[in-house]
Amino acid sequence: MKVASVVVGGTVLAAALVGSNTGSIKESVNPAIKPVGLEAQDSHAAASLLGQFRTSASSWLFLHADLYLHNGVEMRPLTDAEIRNGRKGVGSNPNEAKIHDDSKIVTVIPSEKIDFRGIFGDVERATTSYKDMTGHSHNTPRDSLPLFRLMTFLDPQFVPGWTTGANIMLWEKDREGFRKALTYLNEGLQHNPKSIDILSQIAFCHLKEFGGKRDFAQALPFLKQASAIAHENWTRLSDDEIAATKTNYQRLVVTLRELGKPEEERLAVMEGLDHFPDDVPLGRMLRELNGEVIPEAELSPPLIIKPKTDSSEPEETQKPKIRFI
Amino acid sequence: MNFSAYRALARCVVLESLRRKDLWVVAILGFVILLASSTLGFFGFSGLEIFAKDMAVTVLGMFSTIIAVLTSSRLVPDEIKNRTLYPLLARPISRLDLLVGKLIGAVIVTWISFLLLAALTAVALMIFHVKFELIMVQYLVAKMLGLVVVCSFAMMLSTYMTPSAAATMSFIFAFGSPMIGRGLVMASAENPAIKPVCAAINSLLPQTGLFDLGGRAVYIGWSMVPVWVMGFLLAYGIAYSGAALALSWAKFRRQAV
Repeated sequence: MKVASVVVGGTVLAAALVGSNTGSIKESVNPAIKPVGLEAQDSHAAASLLGQFRTSASSWLFLHADLYLHNGVEMRPLTDAEIRNGRKGVGSNPNEAKIHDDSKIVTVIPSEKIDFRGIFGDVERATTSYKDMTGHSHNTPRDSLPLFRLMTFLDPQFVPGWTTGANIMLWEKDREGFRKALTYLNEGLQHNPKSIDILSQIAFCHLKEFGGKRDFAQALPFLKQASAIAHENWTRLSDDEIAATKTNYQRLVVTLRELGKPEEERLAVMEGLDHFPDDVPLGRMLRELNGEVIPEAELSPPLIIKPKTDSSEPEETQKPKIRFI
Repeated sequence: MNFSAYRALARCVVLESLRRKDLWVVAILGFVILLASSTLGFFGFSGLEIFAKDMAVTVLGMFSTIIAVLTSSRLVPDEIKNRTLYPLLARPISRLDLLVGKLIGAVIVTWISFLLLAALTAVALMIFHVKFELIMVQYLVAKMLGLVVVCSFAMMLSTYMTPSAAATMSFIFAFGSPMIGRGLVMASAENPAIKPVCAAINSLLPQTGLFDLGGRAVYIGWSMVPVWVMGFLLAYGIAYSGAALALSWAKFRRQAV
């Protein structure tokens, strides 16, 4: 009896000791540098089919936000094989502001055209929330905002919940949305202090144009911090984080240029090119810094667009207008 | 058609379910639903109405399917294992009557559980002033028809395999058949040569997904399902359940007990 008590007591004590030290393994099981994307949107056939079964609650809610946008119509990305076979996505309404890329997505329930099931297919299309989504419109993303609040409450380390939610808050392009988005992202940053995507998104909020003004000075520290984190953790970054880092470097260079800091701009370009030697916009920026005149044909989107012609000013004297994406 | 035998057998199944306290489990699940919905209230319910309805139909569909499978897959094996089959077969009923009576009982237990859960869920949603549309009635009717298919399928499998294996296979097909069907469509679109094989496999699957009108009931602005579709679901439910029952009988009538 005594032995049993000692064994039970010892086990409980050991469990308590282990439990009290779980904080030290947090970095291993829940690293600060995490994928910024959601793998459920993978285009591999199996992943496309099984994407809805990814078990994380926050990811599940994230996918549900997409259902809100499509009023319950389930969509899936085209598989690599379907793209190779020339199948096109449903596309979206051209008169609507672009929410996401609909050029490579189709309905989960197959359309009548490709469905061999006959009446079973017809009945499924009649009983489920299915409709032909060719050139479809979306519900306002604002309807899905509570879901983002819920998913970040359940999993504060779920970075896409913070960044996409903030993007939706910016949807109406007003000051109130900007304030809310910034508060929301700062909350996300407290939980994910090393998230490149959140830092970059905060900078993006400051770089959004309100009343004809962009706040480059406010954006700069966040862009610098994101670049520094990316630089330090370069070998551990996921593909999505690497893509976010590339955009971040481009924004950083343009911001430094606008703030009139050519030396820092050069350093940022060099660092960016060190990581992305083939990046065309960064290469172009370096050539500009070196005093090279860039042919107009190279001023391609998405970073720089041609300004609208102002009748009071000859076209050749106008500077290219910077557009942030 | 031995209706008095069906009634007596079905009553036994319901009483057995009560004795096993299956319906208590349902009541506890309902309580969990109410508790979960009050947690949603913590976030401020505004804007979460669609999500709450979505959760409600998901939970309803999942729990009612679990109850249907667990109830149906053990009916015949338990009678054999507990040797209670002998006194039953000693009465003037055929083995087919026994299967029909048991199936009716399983369906009644499943329907009671489903309606109980639906009522509790409706209460939870009404607390938060979630509005119901008429399509919700169609959802309930279609779901009840679908549960008949699940019950007959699980009972059929239980005559060919152990109760655990039958339950597992039933869960796979009940929850997975819509996905398998879509996988077959994707596969046949990529390789048209296998279309007849895909069509044959698809026709054998229990099309449980057809009975789930949850998507239309949850989201705003979806119209009611046409009458011919409801008629088709009824006809399909009867035909598929009849076929499953026939397969069960084909095995059970020659089974040494």
